[in-house]
Amino acid sequence: MNKGLGVLLGVVAVILLIAVSLGSSYNNMVRLSENVDSKYSDISVQLKRRADLIPNLINTVKGYMAHEQKIIDSITEARTNLVNAKTVSEQAKANDDLTKALNSLNVIVENYPDLKSNTNFIQLQDELAGTENRIATSRKDYNDAVKDYNSTIKSFPKNIIAGMFGFTEKDYFEISNTDKEVPNVSFD
Amino acid sequence: MYHLIRIKNYLILLLLSISFSFLNVSAIVKPTKDFYVNDYANILSNETEEYIISKSSKLASIDGTQIVVVTVKNLEGNSLESYATKLFREFGIGDKNKNNGLLLLLALEERKFRVEVGYGLEGILPDGKTGRFQDEYIIPYLKENKWDEGIKNGYDAFYAEIVEQNNLDLSYNKPIEKNNSNSFSYVVASIFGLILGTIVGSALQTTCFRNKKTRKTLKKLSFISAIMGFLAFVLMTIVFCSLTSFALIENEISSFLIFFIVGTFCALFSTGKGSYGGGFSSFGSSGGGFSGGGGSSGGGGSSRGF
Repeated sequence: MNKGLGVLLGVVAVILLIAVSLGSSYNNMVRLSENVDSKYSDISVQLKRRADLIPNLINTVKGYMAHEQKIIDSITEARTNLVNAKTVSEQAKANDDLTKALNSLNVIVENYPDLKSNTNFIQLQDELAGTENRIATSRKDYNDAVKDYNSTIKSFPKNIIAGMFGFTEKDYFEISNTDKEVPNVSFD
Repeated sequence: MYHLIRIKNYLILLLLSISFSFLNVSAIVKPTKDFYVNDYANILSNETEEYIISKSSKLASIDGTQIVVVTVKNLEGNSLESYATKLFREFGIGDKNKNNGLLLLLALEERKFRVEVGYGLEGILPDGKTGRFQDEYIIPYLKENKWDEGIKNGYDAFYAEIVEQNNLDLSYNKPIEKNNSNSFSYVVASIFGLILGTIVGSALQTTCFRNKKTRKTLKKLSFISAIMGFLAFVLMTIVFCSLTSFALIENEISSFLIFFIVGTFCALFSTGKGSYGGGFSSFGSSGGGFSGGGGSSGGGGSSRGF
């Protein structure tokens, strides 16, 4: 009688232990996953903000450099790509392309002192630089969160629970390897 | 068994976090006990430090907004932006929920300045505004290596903006705008002041010194007044050309006032060739005498272009 109770208690205790650790692992994964999502929305907000600033910039720049249509077009195109990007790595690439296009603009701005000293332009540049810095910061926060999450769901024995409840690996906000090709340099 | 693994995982995590926090500490300066001023580059005067500490602590006690000034010798290889963000977070500037912190960071060796704004203050201090504030109130001083003045002035600018925008019941000092008002506005203000002063002076002369005796003595005095006028003119030129950081002529209003007084004084005591013609001819002569005065302030303007 006493022995039977002991075994029963032992079994219940083991089951409870497993249930509790399973539950806490699950909860932990949910928390980490939500953390990733919230960091991702931070990036999205800043990416949208950046995209929203570009038309203002183009309008300001246009009046000063009518002959630099090629660069203006490349910025507009990069912006469109950013707005249309769906996945995390697509967004990362589009964001990177936009940075490149804006950098080539900044090189040319040196030839337009009037534009460079235009208060509206200075303000827009400040806003853009601030947004870029915010993107860099939120991107780091996001990648840290993804790292936390991914390492959790991949480690044993949590990977079993993750598999059971359908937690899958999340993408880092970075340019995927297929996009990391050597840029074409053309001298035209 | 798998508890053992968990414990091991935790241990690894613990070790990792300790090493990470250690790494962070070695790269970023730590807040001093004063918190609001952390002068690691040792470029601020005691008065400025005390000024900022008392102002910042008053502001923080009213609505939790924290303005922190940090100067560092160098960024230890970090980019300015990432250094500022890290420092901002390590210090935990601003209220935890309101996120209303503001960081003014100066890196001496890199010669860089950054204003980092907490989320909660972004509404009243958008990036464009912080950039403009730097251009107008801080950078002109820093270019001349006037660290103390630049930081204090910039601090005043941001402090005033926060107090105004948040409708706080706090007194504040207006910052001194150094770069933005161009020399042209000074010239216009000076000339305007001079003309107005001359009119007022000559009007006073004709009304006050009606009787002939005083006019005669004034005529005798005209030689002295001419010398005095010339001296005043030279003095103004010197002041304008060399002492542009002199507090009296920091803005258009004071340059207007100075020339107004000079104009009044000289017109009052000068009895020019056409003094019989009354006030207006004396206006003509002294006006002619002081057209050079207008030119001198043009020279003053050029020294303002830092």
